[in-house]
Amino acid sequence: MSDAWLEVSDENINVEEIMRRIRERVTSHGAVPSAEEPEESPLAVAEALWKEMIGDAFEESTFSRLVSVRQRDCDIVPRYYVIDWRIPILGPIHAVVRRIINAEIRRYLLPSLDKQSSFNRKMLRALKGLAEENARLRQEIEALRGAQESEIG
Amino acid sequence: MQIHQFHPTVAYGNAIGDQVLSLQRLLRHLGYSSEIFCEQLPLHFQGRTRRIAQYSHYSSPANILLLHFSLGYSPAVLSWLEHVPDRKVVVYHNITPHVYFDGINDVYREAAEVGREQLDRLSVLTEAGWGDSTFNCQELVERGWTRLGVLPIIFDPQRYRVRPERQVLQRWQGGVNILFVGRVSPNKRFEDLILTFYYVKRLVRPEARLLLVGSWRGMEPYLDFLQALIERLGLSDVFFAGHVSTAQLVAYYRCASVYLSMSEHEGFGVPLVESMYFGVPIVAYKTAAVPETLGDSSILVTAKDYAGTAELIGLLIEDASLRDQIVARQRERFQDFLPDKVEGRLRELLYSLGNGVEK
Repeated sequence: MSDAWLEVSDENINVEEIMRRIRERVTSHGAVPSAEEPEESPLAVAEALWKEMIGDAFEESTFSRLVSVRQRDCDIVPRYYVIDWRIPILGPIHAVVRRIINAEIRRYLLPSLDKQSSFNRKMLRALKGLAEENARLRQEIEALRGAQESEIG
Repeated sequence: MQIHQFHPTVAYGNAIGDQVLSLQRLLRHLGYSSEIFCEQLPLHFQGRTRRIAQYSHYSSPANILLLHFSLGYSPAVLSWLEHVPDRKVVVYHNITPHVYFDGINDVYREAAEVGREQLDRLSVLTEAGWGDSTFNCQELVERGWTRLGVLPIIFDPQRYRVRPERQVLQRWQGGVNILFVGRVSPNKRFEDLILTFYYVKRLVRPEARLLLVGSWRGMEPYLDFLQALIERLGLSDVFFAGHVSTAQLVAYYRCASVYLSMSEHEGFGVPLVESMYFGVPIVAYKTAAVPETLGDSSILVTAKDYAGTAELIGLLIEDASLRDQIVARQRERFQDFLPDKVEGRLRELLYSLGNGVEK
């Protein structure tokens, strides 16, 4: 823990004293070994997870340079959507109606959106495969051209 | 003289919407005729806002039009502004840097990027720039504004004089509750709140709870990440409340033991002032406009030392004398944002514009 990471402008509060107490607490709490302690630090877990879940664009592929598409973008199901209104009328009846509408819309809409999402994912995989195949063929053509030119030369 | 305001839309419970409405009250109190103009008429505001198409009936080179700017204008609005002869002042509420939305929401990312570019155009169209904070004004300086002024967000306690929602009180009152209020957005660094809370649970107060109040609309990938992080760390007692009503918000503040902010980008920070008002001790990461809003109150951390911050929270919970000192200074600070105080500042800013604006 670095020393100067705390600021209090109130001159009646002794920052040094607070820091001393924090250091003491960290030492005493940190000294207790714990079998549950994860192997990785929590920060490392967060960073790895961020990379996995948010920073997962196919940045290096030719395809993504043209169209920035992520696996996540393929999923078009509004999973967090609920019908909601905040006009406090009719109490329980209103709540039941809302639940029924939510359930009914989900029953009607979600299967087709799931199908579309699945199709999007397949299309993305196919496009990515095609882009890779295209890049490989381009390299082959370049190699053949080079070989041909050296033969002619 | 008339002083009108423009913002693309206005909503209750939104910092900018509340500021627009509060400013209208102050302007009228100062004797100016003042209306609010929007591109999209909001719901629940019948009669309080007007469409920009109606502005031609009010427009005059002698008027002042305050342009609230937070996420960018549509091309139609920019083109309209070029033809409005009124004196114009931009009121800058800041735009979250677009990089925070990378991989989270492409629409927000683009809007933030375009909005920041539009500042260059607005610097030509407006004669002065006001910011909620010096931090916001600094960006206006970088964009070419020379006449600047700080007009803080107006804090109207009247809005919070509602009965706190009983269900929230019943659920949370009495425990150790660490609170953060703000939209679930990457610039607010919810992961840092969770990491700090990890150490609070493990080292300081195992019974503690982390209450996160704010909408996640449009930020679902980020919410998914946060929930995965909570699961991976094996954490319990982290609650996402989503968007809440004023009665619920008041209840959350009433239940809070400490307000923790690890946000990296704030143009002002209304929840900080709310915490001051409700007597919740604040621990905040020192960045952007946060130290300016807190003034000489509260506790700032200058590094993300999660374990140390967790111990600091423990200290604040356990040491009543320290907590009372912090809260007392916070109560003094929040007075600076009351309508009476800001009215004086508004009067000075209007006077600095000259040409017929009386002091």
